[in-house]
Amino acid sequence: MDILLWGVLPYVMMVVLVGGLIWRYRYDQFGWTTRSSQLYESKLLRIGSPVFHFGLLAVIAGHFFGLVIPMSWTKAVGMSQEFYHFNALFVGSVAGVGTLGGILLLIYRRRTTGPVFMATTRNDKLMYVVLTAAIVFGLWTTLASVFLGGEGHNYRETVSPWFRSLFIFQPDIAAMATAPFAFHLHTLVGMLLFTIWPFTRLVHAFTAPLHYLFRPYIVYRSRDKGRIAGRVVAAPVRRGWSAVGTRDRDTRNK
Amino acid sequence: MATELMVPGLDGPVSDAMLKLGRFFTKWDQTDDGRAVFREGGRKGDVFYRDRWSHDKVVRSTHGVNCTGSCSWKVYVKDGIITWESQQTDYPSVGPDSPEYEPRGCPRGAAFSWYTYSPTRVRFPYARGVLVEMYREAKGRLKDPVLAWADVVTDPERRRRYQQARGKGGLVRVSWQEAIEMAAAAHTHTIKTYGPDRCSGFSPIPAMSMVSHAVGNRFIQLIGGVMTSFYDWYADLPVASPQVFGDQTDVPESGDWWDSTYLMMWGSNVPVTRTPDAHWMTEVRYRGTKVVAVSPDYADNTKFADEWLPAQAGTDAALAMAMGHVMLKEFFVDRDVPYFSNYVRQYTDLPFLVRLEEHDGGGLVPSKFLTAADLPAEAGAEDPAFRTVLFDKLTGRAVVPNGSMGFRYNESGKGKWNLDLEGVDPALSLLEVSSESAEILLPCFEDPAGAGSVLRRGVPVLRVDGHLVTTVFDLMLAQYGVGRPGLPGDWAADYDDASTPYTPAWQEEITSVPAQACIRVAREFARNAEQSKGRSMIIMGAGICQWFHGDATYRAVLSLVMLTGCMGRNGGGWAHYVGQEKTRPTTGWVSLANALDWARPPRTMIGTGYWYMHTDQWRQDGYSADALKSPLSTGSLDGMHTADTLAQSARLGWMPFYPQFDRNPLDIADEAEAAVAAGTAKDTPSYIADALKNRTLTPAIEDVDAPENWPRTLVLWRSNLFGSSAKGNEYFLRNLLGTHNNVMGKDHAEGLKPRDVKWHEKAPEGKLDLLVSADFRMTSTTLLSDIVFPAATWYEKHDLSSTDMHPFVHAFTPAIDPPWETKTDFETFHLLAEELSRQAKTHLGVRRDLVSVPLQHDTAGQVAQPGGVVRDWREPDIPAVPGQNMPVFSVVERDYTAIADKLAAVGPLADTLGFTVKNVTYKLDGALDRLSHANGVMLGGAADGRPAIDTDAKMAEAILAFSGTTNGQLAVQGFKDLEIRTGRKLADLAEGSEEKFITFAQTQAGPVPVITSPEWSGSESGGRRYSPFTINVERLKPWHTLTGRMHFFLDHDWIRDVGEALPIYRPPLDMQRLFGEPKLGPNGTKEVVVRYLTPHSKWSIHSEYQDNLLMLSLSRGGPTVWMSPADAASIEAKDNDWVECVNLNGVYVARAVVSHRMPEGVVYVYHAQERTIDVPKSEATGRRGGIHNSLTRLLVKPSHLIGGYAQLTYAFNYLGPTGNQRDNVSTIRRRSQEVQY
Repeated sequence: MDILLWGVLPYVMMVVLVGGLIWRYRYDQFGWTTRSSQLYESKLLRIGSPVFHFGLLAVIAGHFFGLVIPMSWTKAVGMSQEFYHFNALFVGSVAGVGTLGGILLLIYRRRTTGPVFMATTRNDKLMYVVLTAAIVFGLWTTLASVFLGGEGHNYRETVSPWFRSLFIFQPDIAAMATAPFAFHLHTLVGMLLFTIWPFTRLVHAFTAPLHYLFRPYIVYRSRDKGRIAGRVVAAPVRRGWSAVGTRDRDTRNK
Repeated sequence: MATELMVPGLDGPVSDAMLKLGRFFTKWDQTDDGRAVFREGGRKGDVFYRDRWSHDKVVRSTHGVNCTGSCSWKVYVKDGIITWESQQTDYPSVGPDSPEYEPRGCPRGAAFSWYTYSPTRVRFPYARGVLVEMYREAKGRLKDPVLAWADVVTDPERRRRYQQARGKGGLVRVSWQEAIEMAAAAHTHTIKTYGPDRCSGFSPIPAMSMVSHAVGNRFIQLIGGVMTSFYDWYADLPVASPQVFGDQTDVPESGDWWDSTYLMMWGSNVPVTRTPDAHWMTEVRYRGTKVVAVSPDYADNTKFADEWLPAQAGTDAALAMAMGHVMLKEFFVDRDVPYFSNYVRQYTDLPFLVRLEEHDGGGLVPSKFLTAADLPAEAGAEDPAFRTVLFDKLTGRAVVPNGSMGFRYNESGKGKWNLDLEGVDPALSLLEVSSESAEILLPCFEDPAGAGSVLRRGVPVLRVDGHLVTTVFDLMLAQYGVGRPGLPGDWAADYDDASTPYTPAWQEEITSVPAQACIRVAREFARNAEQSKGRSMIIMGAGICQWFHGDATYRAVLSLVMLTGCMGRNGGGWAHYVGQEKTRPTTGWVSLANALDWARPPRTMIGTGYWYMHTDQWRQDGYSADALKSPLSTGSLDGMHTADTLAQSARLGWMPFYPQFDRNPLDIADEAEAAVAAGTAKDTPSYIADALKNRTLTPAIEDVDAPENWPRTLVLWRSNLFGSSAKGNEYFLRNLLGTHNNVMGKDHAEGLKPRDVKWHEKAPEGKLDLLVSADFRMTSTTLLSDIVFPAATWYEKHDLSSTDMHPFVHAFTPAIDPPWETKTDFETFHLLAEELSRQAKTHLGVRRDLVSVPLQHDTAGQVAQPGGVVRDWREPDIPAVPGQNMPVFSVVERDYTAIADKLAAVGPLADTLGFTVKNVTYKLDGALDRLSHANGVMLGGAADGRPAIDTDAKMAEAILAFSGTTNGQLAVQGFKDLEIRTGRKLADLAEGSEEKFITFAQTQAGPVPVITSPEWSGSESGGRRYSPFTINVERLKPWHTLTGRMHFFLDHDWIRDVGEALPIYRPPLDMQRLFGEPKLGPNGTKEVVVRYLTPHSKWSIHSEYQDNLLMLSLSRGGPTVWMSPADAASIEAKDNDWVECVNLNGVYVARAVVSHRMPEGVVYVYHAQERTIDVPKSEATGRRGGIHNSLTRLLVKPSHLIGGYAQLTYAFNYLGPTGNQRDNVSTIRRRSQEVQY
């Protein structure tokens, strides 16, 4: 069972995620969209969306910190387990609660604003369930450690090594198997989320237009240059047509 | 470093730094300011967009009916699918010093192609399920469609069953064959049993698809049916136009606004209702023209105006009267302006003499024009009562100048029907020639409740052959209260005299427009006209036209442009834009549409009178004509119910009414001809006259509710009667269609019943046997219809379009063939005609039809009733003379087996009689010959050898061939004929175009400018912009009025008795006094009573586009009522709350649009919001909560019914009672927000 869950499933998930994204990109580029509902409602969206998205960025950063960076490294720089745990708990809770609050506000908005709800598909509803579940269970793993007393389970000794081991195709199934139920649940829901990812609106995460921040506002694109009879031309030339062309920016000085 | 500093950064150091970071990783070619980057490639996505916007062909077409834009459009087709449309840009240039017509169009037209494949498209023929079942059963039994139809409709139980199903779904798909067969059978049965005048048809606005209109109209007229009017029915027809000009809606093209140097928009929201033309109004402002808007709300056009005069809704005449007061005082009395005084002397009735007579109650009142009949010296003149008289200062005596109607229809008038004064110098005021004066009494209606009072004023007078007379000008000064020293009577002290009508201060209390603003605009308007020689213009619209007293308001406004010499000038005068339908090739259209090439006269009917009577709205009309009359009335309207005034008007030959008599006109014709053959009658008309006089024959209107007098079939095409124009919608549903309705009021109590029209204790419900409609979309009308034909859209047929907004004719061309089972109107009516001709072989054969029509405008019927005196042949000692004081009776042969043959060919009367418009007859030999070659001739049948018009394109060709505006040879010939009558040079206006012949192919290639023709009153010669009456002014051709001039004064008995002989202010009707509706304003119980106005919408053209997904997305969509924040607060309604509007006529449920644009006390329910979009059940009745017209009702103004007298003579769409709807009030309250459908 453990082999199936922690040895096979992660790879199945990866295949579906990557394969699904490629398939979606090739066959549904016009559907590659968030289907923004800002036009129908903007007041709640203005609050909910940034809270959720920035919270999520912090959550992702936390996952990176906890899963990718080995405990030995943080120890090496002198960070105590208590300090790490306090930090993870505090920052993680703030980010997690923000994310959860954000998404709850967005769901509330989606349900109560008529036009937005009308524009919500079954696909969206499923995605919201899984996404919210992943957040809730993730937050539970964090908060449980507070309410259950002590420092709770140190996932950096179970989950994190397993996570890293996946990438070298030598899954440390045993480490993962010893993690408590809450972590198993969160991980499974997380994998489910990544499995449905390519087939939902979530694909927009992969095309966040970050480069907009680093380029001029206006982009002029000239056509791909082709070459015919030694001359550079700006469009594919059909048989039987001779290129005429106009002097443009590229050739005016030549 | 210096260069670095010169480069402007973007938004700040942070974005600069980010850009720099970007550049660090990627090299790119960018502009100096760093705002744009150049890249190569990455354009694979282009393919999609190139494909998206590629197309196989572009076809020229436009949108028909109800939009006066007549914009030419490109329709794009790809893979046989209409994809989108865009504006044509190839209108011929207006000239170098002006903006151009192109591009024309608006979002509504751009949304049209949505309909082609929309869910609302009617794709197949439908019929009412219960009716079809009963018909099939009967036909199975009787084996004959006509017998089967008769079997169903004559059985009261089965008849009620399908009538009550109307409007409640249950339409089922049927075959074309069966649908046509049933419709034809209903017509055949009706003609046979009740008479052809029980068959009716309605299709409006021919100019915007002339062929589609003409073919159905032609079918109805060939079978002897009745076409009901639309222009007056829509209340778009300004009754003031015939009253003042003797012409109907001749107005400038919008390009002439550019010639204006002072432009007023009065009740006309140009950017919304004349969207493609509005640019001229905004552009002329850059030329220095001042633009003034008069509008009760902050309408879209007010923001373009330099000055906004917010006159309270319905009070505009008060403002106009005060402006007239200022103009008369400052530009006529205080100072003589030669341009004005010469103009009014030559072109208006101001110098003409009017007799003063003693009123029964004491005191002198103006009575009738002095005419040659009153002058012994003129004894022996032809038509003396129509030769009006003025006083010549040079010779010092009263003279009869040329140009009055007395010169139009007789031998002695030849060459003298013109405005040449021939050296006579008319006295404008008798003060110029007389020192005698007299006090006169004038009616006044300043009381908001509408009751009249009497003003005492004075005029200079003179005695001419024993008659005490004064001039119209002197009466005008008296009416407006502009005093002159030495005259008796009470006069306004000054402009600030608020207690004396019609001063600026007086109007301020009524309209709320500051007196100073009124004075300023009046002065500027007149001063501009003086300096520019008449280039002050008033664009007038529905906001002032569609009131009960809209004619009075219009006359008050028109006086301003007449006094200042603006009529007949480019850039000046009136510009009435409400539902105008200038069919520029009018002769061809009107003649073919009415089948005048086969039989004359046609049966045309005043829509308002028809529906007022046949939907039994008269039974709930709460007042008699007494409520309207002048305190100085002589009694011609005393005690008359409005239904009585209609009955009298019909029997005196003033207005038409159908059905004609209580018996089948086919049988009456047989009876009459038998009597003539037997020698018991002189001729058919006198047989009918005698029968009427001795009451063996009864006019149908006098027992309109008797089953034999009901209209039995109604064909609607290009129209949405029940979703758009049917004022009193709920009465239509109840009495005409016999289905569920929300009528709230009760029939009359004792005492208010008519005298001449028979009262049935119970009003009939469900008069109509069959309602047929042809449409391309599902409307309120199709839902109520018994048979629905799927029609082709405007992108699926050949047709013609023209307008008065621009001077071009252009074509409709099919972009695709009619899809699914749809057919063009042309094809539908041909199928109907073929089936009817087949059925006629057994049931009708060849019959003779007695046709009764009223006295007609632009014919000698105008001189039938001298003096405009009511001489009712019902009085024992007054003889009944057809064509004089009763209608004209003629017998027409109808070969019912040949209807289809005749529909498809031009008939022989075109050769023998030609086609006549405005008393000018066009001889068609050349045009017919040309058409025979172009279209070919029919072979065999009743129309053997006649020119073919058997396709829509061929009919378009024929319309163009038979009109002067599109056939230069006809224009020249018409002008030459007119030269003989007027003795003035005219033909040169068209001679340069004599060889010009506009073909249908030319109109398909691009919009073609029309030729100057006697069909219209303006000249386009030499490329000038069209402005009406320029020929009258420049060539001294008379107006078609009594004096031959523009009229300020009207002297018909009924006009005088409603107190409207002169321009006057009449307040909106007091619905509390007349109908017992509650008082205006909040009543403290969370209800508010408001004026309920239905102006034209920004998001639709009437009902079209209001259901269009694209336009619904641009607007709030669904039923709305616009109200002011104050009114909304008084019923505690917020924006978008559901509210209910209720009055005696019905209920309307809508969402409130609360807007600061709205004035308090007025709500707008934009025209036309119909039952197909989001209409919930009402709390008031529990039934579906109505449409905009559920709260309106027909209100007939008796003075619109006048006929048989000079310019006040009937012609279709020229004169008739308006279906006005603006005087309505409604109670509004917030309702439960939970609505149910």
